[in-house]
Amino acid sequence: MNNTKFPIPYNELERLAALKRYNILDTLPDHAFDDATKLVSYICGVPIAHISFIDESRQWFKSEIGIGVTEVPREISFCQYTIMESEIVEINDTFLNDRFKNDPNVVGGFKIRFYAGIPLTTPDGFNIGTICAIDHVVKELNENQKNALSLVAKHVIGQLELQTKNIELNAQKKIAERAVLAKDSFLANMSHEIRTPLNAVIGFTELLSQTDLNNTQLDYVESVQTAGENLLLIINDILDLSKIESGNLAIEAEPFNLKKTLKHVYNLLKVKVPKDVEFNLYLDAEMPDMVIGDQGRLNQILVNLTGNALKFTEDGDVTISVKKVEDTDDFYTLRFSVKDTGIGIPEDKLKTIFERFTQAEESTTRKFGGTGLGLSIVKQLVELQKGEIQVKSKPGRGSEFSFTLIYKKANTAEIKVNKVSDNNLGKLKILLCEDNPLNQKLAKSVISNFGFELDIAENGEEGIELLSKNEYDLVLMDLQMPVKDGYQTTEYIRNEMKLAIPIIAMTAHSLVGEQERCYKAGMDAYVPKPFKQAVLLKAIKTVMSKDFEHGYKRKINFSFLDEMGGGDADFKKEMISLFIDKIPNQAAQLDEAFKNNDYDTVKKLAHHMKSSMDIFMLEDLSNYLSDIEEEAIIEEFTAETLDKINILHCGIVDVVKVLKELC
Amino acid sequence: MRIILAEDNDILRKSLSFFLESKGFKVDQFSDGKDALEAIESDNYDLVLTDINMPGVSGMEITQYIRQTLNSEIPIIIFTSSSVEQTELDSFDLGANEFMSKPVSPAVLLVRINKLLNTRV
Repeated sequence: MNNTKFPIPYNELERLAALKRYNILDTLPDHAFDDATKLVSYICGVPIAHISFIDESRQWFKSEIGIGVTEVPREISFCQYTIMESEIVEINDTFLNDRFKNDPNVVGGFKIRFYAGIPLTTPDGFNIGTICAIDHVVKELNENQKNALSLVAKHVIGQLELQTKNIELNAQKKIAERAVLAKDSFLANMSHEIRTPLNAVIGFTELLSQTDLNNTQLDYVESVQTAGENLLLIINDILDLSKIESGNLAIEAEPFNLKKTLKHVYNLLKVKVPKDVEFNLYLDAEMPDMVIGDQGRLNQILVNLTGNALKFTEDGDVTISVKKVEDTDDFYTLRFSVKDTGIGIPEDKLKTIFERFTQAEESTTRKFGGTGLGLSIVKQLVELQKGEIQVKSKPGRGSEFSFTLIYKKANTAEIKVNKVSDNNLGKLKILLCEDNPLNQKLAKSVISNFGFELDIAENGEEGIELLSKNEYDLVLMDLQMPVKDGYQTTEYIRNEMKLAIPIIAMTAHSLVGEQERCYKAGMDAYVPKPFKQAVLLKAIKTVMSKDFEHGYKRKINFSFLDEMGGGDADFKKEMISLFIDKIPNQAAQLDEAFKNNDYDTVKKLAHHMKSSMDIFMLEDLSNYLSDIEEEAIIEEFTAETLDKINILHCGIVDVVKVLKELC
Repeated sequence: MRIILAEDNDILRKSLSFFLESKGFKVDQFSDGKDALEAIESDNYDLVLTDINMPGVSGMEITQYIRQTLNSEIPIIIFTSSSVEQTELDSFDLGANEFMSKPVSPAVLLVRINKLLNTRV
């Protein structure tokens, strides 16, 4: 059953598929096509021009001049014939053309007297549409005009191709970006997953090595420990790299002892020195002891570079040297160098050795091991500290890696020395919130080694419950727990229970910004897992020491009061004592009225107290009072109202305490 | 210039009056609307500052009384912690000259007072 009234190209199905591929039908007007249409009209000097596409039933105009409709049925179009051709179709006078002389659009309609159309041919040879010039008078195009018309046709197809490719590219780009994100989070998660059990392995090995062992056993245990620590190094490498790549690695700025750090690196690596190699550490006599910067990252860079130097040097020497190159009022500029007399690096490899997974020789991995990540991390770590790393090397003669870092001078007052001995702490009662049984066990052993008492909560909820029943000196908080995680639990302890008890975060995440997030939530210290006994003990001492200022203390903003009083101290004092006299009473009355469901009194008191809170700029308390007032107005108290009243109560107690200290 | 200040919150009332006195005004303060009204009737003031929610007689009632019973054109500024539009409209209907939401900024209050008194202190 074929009732079509128009000619059909032999490859019609493929042609329609090609057209569909461009997704051009029924799209919005587009400057690029409109410009091409105008160009056709100018070139041919005609009042009507268009770019159109022909699908199974219609001719759709992507762009047109002088037509004024968006589509016409295929069977009445002139172009149904043009797409059958491969060349330009020119009808100089339709009146003289047998096919068109009686066409409705010749005798009437568009009154077409002249028609020139050229098929729009895709690169794979399908005529998907046409580009046309039409006039009401007899006309003949010269060669230049015809050539120009075919050039415009090519241009239009080019434009279409470009748009389609752009769409494809965008889609591919999104896929690639998603893949990178997936890779990063996979790496981070995987490293985390590996670190958790490794934490237990290393921790228990440490405990095991402290028990009574014979020499053979001790040797085995030490091997396990070394292997565990090496594995941890590799995982940390991978984690570091994914952090650097996502721009999430933060460089710390803390005072540290530079000389000690260098000596530590030296001592750490001394054990790995081959017997025919001399290992030296040269420090500039004028080098400062204390600087402000990132000790851990300097350590990492030096261990990495020196480790490499020792690995690739069979005889001769390996030298770490540090020189002070500049000394301003605020900064030291130091040049660090690690020089060896090892196998060296061929010149053509010098540029690529800092790239990832690249080692100077393909065979290096087999012969010397390593992940091929080390130098890439080193370079990025140096650059993150605004330094630059350089390498000089001659094969067979040796290599020198050097970098310059700028450290802020440490003000001696900034350096706090903590001299709390174990005994000072006495018998602390500690609450551990941790869900992993291995970690629980490990923490338990470590804590009891310190001589402290430990209670364990499986999750945050349980922790809160224990905290409300018993007195503790300290909370150790895992961040990832079921039911209520470490952040939520801490926020609850600080904001709802109003407890100032020290909280130490323990986490294997070591993700970026996590430390800040911990402090923000109200924690006092942060111990990364796998934790070393000494690190944990130090954290405990720090938070327990008397001069340790709890981060959590309400600060009162007196700027409104000062504006009122013009800074008059007596006035301020008077207002503060008024607050201390009146507000706790009013809060008690509010409690009472709330218990009696006395909506009217609650409403009035809340309203009244709000004005007082506003003067002391206690925005949170003022907001609670607004809520309470609203709930009293609609006469609907809920469990939440009770919460708010309790929080308000605690807040007022807090504020009064702070105000009393000021009086 | 004499100002009468009716506000039942002690801290706010004392703060405001300290502030205004520091700017050279003489302030008579009342925590009860009824006392404030009696003072207005018996004494001469240049401006009235009143909270809308007052025990005894409310700020609205004070305004109404001043305008309708005393037939006085004394400038009146009403304070409120309500942000309800109708309250503001009602205040102006009754003849208040200014309407300020709490917390009141002292600097803005001063500008408005000076504008109403048409003088610079």
